[in-house]
Amino acid sequence: MNYPVWQTLFPAGLLIAVVAVVHVFVSHFAIGGGAFLVLTESTAYRRNDLGLLQYVKRHSKFFALLTLVFGAVTGVGIWFTIGLVSPEATSSLIHTFVWGWAIEWVFFFVEITAAIIYAYNWDRLDRKTHLTIGWIYFIAAFMSLVVINGIITYMLTPGAWLQTKNFWDGFFNPTYWPSLAMRSVICVLLAGVFGLITAVRERGEVRDRVVRLAGMWIVAGSVLLPLTAWWYYAKFPVFAKAYMAGALPAAQHPVRGGITCAALGLLFALVFAIWKPRLMRAPLVVFMMIFAFGLMASGEYLREFVRKPWVITGYIYANDLRTEAIDSHIANGAQPKWLTVANPEEDQVGYGRELFTIQCSKCHSVDGYRGMTKRVRGWDATFAANMLAHLDQLRGNAMPRFAGNAADRQALGAYLATLSPARAETITDANRAEIGKQVFVTRCGACHTLGGTVRPLDAAFTGASPEQVRDMLPVLESMSPNMPPWTGTDAEAQALSTYISSILSENAGAAK
Amino acid sequence: MTILTIPTPDPMPLPAPLWLLHTLLLLVLFLHLLAMNCALGGGLTVFLNALRGRSERHPFSRQLATELAPMLPIFVAFTITLGVAALLFVQVIYGNLLYTSSILLGAAWMSVILLVIVGYYGYYYFSHHAEKSPRSAVAVLAVAVLCFLCIAFVLVNNMSLMLTPNRWQQMYRAHPGGFNLNFGEPTLVSRYLHMLIGAIGVFTAVLAHLGVRKMRTQPEYGAWLVRRSSVIFALTTGIQFITGTWFVMAMPRDIAMSLFREPLPGIVFGVSVILSLVAMVLLLIGSTAVKPGPLVHAGFLCALLTLALMVGLRHMVRTAYLAPHFDPVTLPVNSQTGVILLFFVSFVAGLATVGYMVAKVARASVTAARAAGAD
Repeated sequence: MNYPVWQTLFPAGLLIAVVAVVHVFVSHFAIGGGAFLVLTESTAYRRNDLGLLQYVKRHSKFFALLTLVFGAVTGVGIWFTIGLVSPEATSSLIHTFVWGWAIEWVFFFVEITAAIIYAYNWDRLDRKTHLTIGWIYFIAAFMSLVVINGIITYMLTPGAWLQTKNFWDGFFNPTYWPSLAMRSVICVLLAGVFGLITAVRERGEVRDRVVRLAGMWIVAGSVLLPLTAWWYYAKFPVFAKAYMAGALPAAQHPVRGGITCAALGLLFALVFAIWKPRLMRAPLVVFMMIFAFGLMASGEYLREFVRKPWVITGYIYANDLRTEAIDSHIANGAQPKWLTVANPEEDQVGYGRELFTIQCSKCHSVDGYRGMTKRVRGWDATFAANMLAHLDQLRGNAMPRFAGNAADRQALGAYLATLSPARAETITDANRAEIGKQVFVTRCGACHTLGGTVRPLDAAFTGASPEQVRDMLPVLESMSPNMPPWTGTDAEAQALSTYISSILSENAGAAK
Repeated sequence: MTILTIPTPDPMPLPAPLWLLHTLLLLVLFLHLLAMNCALGGGLTVFLNALRGRSERHPFSRQLATELAPMLPIFVAFTITLGVAALLFVQVIYGNLLYTSSILLGAAWMSVILLVIVGYYGYYYFSHHAEKSPRSAVAVLAVAVLCFLCIAFVLVNNMSLMLTPNRWQQMYRAHPGGFNLNFGEPTLVSRYLHMLIGAIGVFTAVLAHLGVRKMRTQPEYGAWLVRRSSVIFALTTGIQFITGTWFVMAMPRDIAMSLFREPLPGIVFGVSVILSLVAMVLLLIGSTAVKPGPLVHAGFLCALLTLALMVGLRHMVRTAYLAPHFDPVTLPVNSQTGVILLFFVSFVAGLATVGYMVAKVARASVTAARAAGAD
């Protein structure tokens, strides 16, 4: 609430994801590709293989054009994007790691100079000097990963930094080494995938050899990837492991996506690059690129997903609010510095919309990505305000605490209630079960499951008749201080109790 | 009614003494501007000479465009690399101002990334295709130069908006999606023109310096380059007096007056004006001298010193603008001494490595040139 919010048509966090994924896809190639170039050049000299040497020369031009321009500029793009979307977190990262970035910049400077010289001085420099510059490029590029990896991993697992605020505690954090190993392996894999782009354009007998060579890099990376990924997962924080264990089922999507892409990429590399390299054609290379991009996007998405609700774990929430500021906002009100609504005191819904923009819109849209309309279906303003009081306790504990007082919650609740007005249809015997399910999902499902592992309601309601369940609804808040009072209609109460009773009866029957 | 809102600076202390951060900021900014002047001034020079060189009557223009074309992407590479460093240090000191102004200009600010990619690839396209398909190459170059002109305009918008927080709330209410430009800023156009003409001027000084070197192997071409560059430098210096005066006149009165009233800004201002005039005179005399080398090199050096002093003066203007709202001197400091030392060690090692690589290429180029001469 310290900074204005850049109000985009979609959750602005998505923009970070897009820019970051595109960048890391090329930047990991920029590292692995450096090793690929210099090792292949070395092999070509050793075997006096002119065909291979010509391939490396051509590949180096493609490499330079892609990494120097697109790779480098999208890296700057991440800086621009995070500054716009999460200025508070960016400022914190800068204050913690400015010297880390300055050291990375030195390597970047060396890397850029070496890449230009390497790609455009094949005929001018002698072989030994050219190879030396290739190695300088690779070492500088890898060192930039060594540095930036400390900052990226710190965001998920800041470790002892939270207590000490010491640079090195944050840098060499619990996921530093496994992440470095995993990213190094990905560099190898991507070097092979991008190597195919130029390999299939070669003519003559060298074509099959370079396709096979690229395939071997892909296979080497793919074989090592699961080991490093498992090591990385082993160091995840407890809450992140809980998401993946089922608290947030959506965490499984990027895992499945990543495994599928990696497996298909490995299969294609084995068949079309190593076994039958002649079959590797441009369309198959496109598929390989898609698999590699899918793998990279899945990994980055998962890394961001399991960090919920934080942008820096334990320090700054994903909505750019600092943990230390939340208590003050709860006691004294949100008091945003930047408002577009003219009269917040007179325009409760308008002010609520503004709070939504400030506290929710970085991750949630109204109707689109992580849209709220479907999540608040049938909510009234009072119920919404009550839910906001327990935001951090919703299923999975993946939401930040709401930063505001009762009046702020009521304002945001009033706005959320306008997104999906109360149910208008008449509840009949025909639609009662379906509506009961909807009411459960929107009013209970944010925190509870039936027959699941997350705060199951089975113990409380198994064996209860619909009437008995319904009788408990008016006294919900007396069961636990975290339970909001029932504010739905009688018809909804009837539909909900019928649904709960029937599902638990079915579950009990199935168990017998 | 003007509502003044300035985000609270980061609660964490500055990770280094302010003087060190400022020194590094100004140093990399000077280098960034030098590279930018070559990228932008160079792009304009190549474009105009490529157009002019299409006629058989202007072979030197054609030669200049051909020789400079492969340098353009390299200039851009170093502009970006050095710009990243400047962005890093400006964020740590003035982050609460820069993030806010960037958000208010969000759409334009993000467009910089796309424009850099298009412009950068445009320069590469020209350098690879100028010989084979000159028409399309020149058209692409025009688009690339236009991209860099737009980027410079957005940068000037942001760097001026971050100094004027009194305008922020109004702009946010008008366009919270970031579809703003800082057109309400009285210095916007003059500041942009001052930077733009300055870029052309500095690059022509670089060209005059290059021309003297060319005179050793190609006397006529080298003399043409020195002569032409010196005249354009003189012209841009003259225009800079107009844009510079306009810039100062457009500033709030108290800030403009501080440039002349305070001793340090006044001295820096005065010396930079004198140096630019000295550079102009040296280059003009040098361009007609029998042995232009010492005069042109001295003129080039004066032009570089003028740029360096202007960077310093720009910082003083920023401080004067921000004085009523924000003073970084008040920020707490907790130096990360060990990491700072590591940075300087890696910086020296990095410079040595770059020096080694550049020396190898330079030596190889000399050897190749000698071999070509022997043939």
